[in-house]
Amino acid sequence: MHLFGILLRLAWRNLWRNHRRTIIMLGAIGVGVWAMIFMTALTRGMVDQMITDSIGVLPGHVQMHHPDYRDDPSISNRVSISDAALNEKFDDADFEAWASRVRVPAVITSERESRGVTLLGVDPAAERDISFFDYDEVEGRFLESASDQGIVIGKRLAETLETEIGKRIVLMSQDPENDIADRGFRIVGLYSANTKAIEQAYAYIGKTTAQKMLRVDDATTEVVFLGEDYRNVEPVYEAVTSAVDDTVLVQRWFDIDTYLGTMLGVMDGFVLVWVVVIFLALSFGLVNTLVMAVFERVREIGLMLALGMKPASILGQILIESMFLLALGLAVGNFLAWATIVPLQDGIDISVVAEGMEMWGASSMLYPKLYASDMILASGVVLLLGFLASLSPAWRASRYEPVEAITKV
Amino acid sequence: MRVKLTMRNRLLYSLILLAIPALGVGQERDAKTIVRDAIDHWRGLSSYTEMTMIIHRPDWQRSMTMRAWTMGDDHSLVRVVEPRKDRGNGTLTDDKSMWSYSPKINRVIKVPSSMMGQSWMGSDFSNKDVARADEIVDEYEHRLLGAEQVDGVTVYEIEAIPDEDAAVVWGSEVLRIREDHVVLKHSFFDQDGELVKSLTTLEIAELGGRVTARRQRMSKADVADEWTEIQVNEVDYDVELKESLFTLSNLRNPRDL
Repeated sequence: MHLFGILLRLAWRNLWRNHRRTIIMLGAIGVGVWAMIFMTALTRGMVDQMITDSIGVLPGHVQMHHPDYRDDPSISNRVSISDAALNEKFDDADFEAWASRVRVPAVITSERESRGVTLLGVDPAAERDISFFDYDEVEGRFLESASDQGIVIGKRLAETLETEIGKRIVLMSQDPENDIADRGFRIVGLYSANTKAIEQAYAYIGKTTAQKMLRVDDATTEVVFLGEDYRNVEPVYEAVTSAVDDTVLVQRWFDIDTYLGTMLGVMDGFVLVWVVVIFLALSFGLVNTLVMAVFERVREIGLMLALGMKPASILGQILIESMFLLALGLAVGNFLAWATIVPLQDGIDISVVAEGMEMWGASSMLYPKLYASDMILASGVVLLLGFLASLSPAWRASRYEPVEAITKV
Repeated sequence: MRVKLTMRNRLLYSLILLAIPALGVGQERDAKTIVRDAIDHWRGLSSYTEMTMIIHRPDWQRSMTMRAWTMGDDHSLVRVVEPRKDRGNGTLTDDKSMWSYSPKINRVIKVPSSMMGQSWMGSDFSNKDVARADEIVDEYEHRLLGAEQVDGVTVYEIEAIPDEDAAVVWGSEVLRIREDHVVLKHSFFDQDGELVKSLTTLEIAELGGRVTARRQRMSKADVADEWTEIQVNEVDYDVELKESLFTLSNLRNPRDL
């Protein structure tokens, strides 16, 4: 213990003998660590938002469909369980929210344009917590009940169709017999979403109205369930699967949108790769600094060895010096990252490149997400790899022949 | 310009309407009847028509000769005779459904709802225009805007406003119908009251024992020099037609060309 104290003190003092070099190195490590954490936080924020947005649109963490619905999302593939039976099964269940809905492709036509959309026949009361927009923020109003006669579409879609609130549009889809099912609707509200694509994609009408239009009594095509956290959907998944038989297909969000599901896994790998790459660049500086420090002190090390210090202590001393350097650098880097990310957490406006970002479903505001786990990962990797990188110069220093070292010019 | 004119006309007719209170009584039924009669007159219980369709665009124009059979409200079959490369292309409608057949791919395709709004055979008519010409009777509220004397014949102007849940995008449609049931003009207005497109009768003649529109032109209000004209060459009304004419198998294997 006494020896360790001496080594600590030696290492600390050695560190500041050439303080300019140390400060430069600290700066390098600091910036490197900052870059690791900052970039990670940015990408994390982006992916997080993509996922929450997409789940918000999917929506729901777990969904139930007819087994063929995913291949052919038409009204022919309805959920075999009636609404009444669903209510009985899930009303007391412990979900954040759940809702059954009619979701089919449809065509929306105004006087001048027509567009393909996904028609959502929803019960507004049940969907309040699932919907990706706030009912109160809808321009005009959102649907008031499942039998509301109005339609709510995205702002962008209204622009494309050259129509507006208060005007009528025609919605066309197919009934189970593949006959045309169509109806006129008056637009009662316009919703906004993060991306144009979403605003173009969904048209909301009342569930009962949709069922009447498509002539399907009280059948639905999709049941969605929302749990507490999208990262942990197993409890919800199990609760749902145990309640139904195999005439319906129950899927987690990452089974449905495999791209997003993979994205999350890829992200974790990406963070590690990113950290290691930056560290590799840093390690050259680190090793070089240590080699120089050792080289400058060859005679001194020789003297210590001659006076009876064990080679292991020399090794320890150099390693401790390196660890001090890294720890200080990490402290600087982590602080820098924290200090830059926190003020930006309200979002960075990247609307300049928004069009490009939208192509892969990200929005024009970027909200960096600082995770403690990412900071710990970066620091851990730096410490571990830094330790390994310092081994070589330290080992060489401890292997000097005292006589040769002392006489070295 | 055309829009303004029409608007002024409508105003004028409204004034006339106010001036003749007698017209107000039972005018809803009258207006509906006028429209109903016009459609029945144009189609008959059953009919066989030979017609030429001219599609005109600023830089090209093409024409097609077609034969059409109709029976009752629901059934119709149209088949292309000329030009040669389109010969045999057919469209069958039954109630609200529509199928098309092309001998080149030897397939009957049910026109999906998503395509009902699209152009029929490249013309200015939409598939919907072709498939359901008579919904103008059932799913609309009709109002007689006025009547005037043109060349000694009474011409009624009727405004048709689609029901709230009717699958119609127009704000209103205005029809000018002569007292002998010939539709002179059918204009489609958007929900701001602006003219979008109109079907105008250019020539009236006696065909198959009835006075009907011989040449009609569909044109869009906001694009100049683009129109589709349908010219009727020959009509037979109330002909004897077999139910089997309006079947998918007949669409696929024409026995009538």
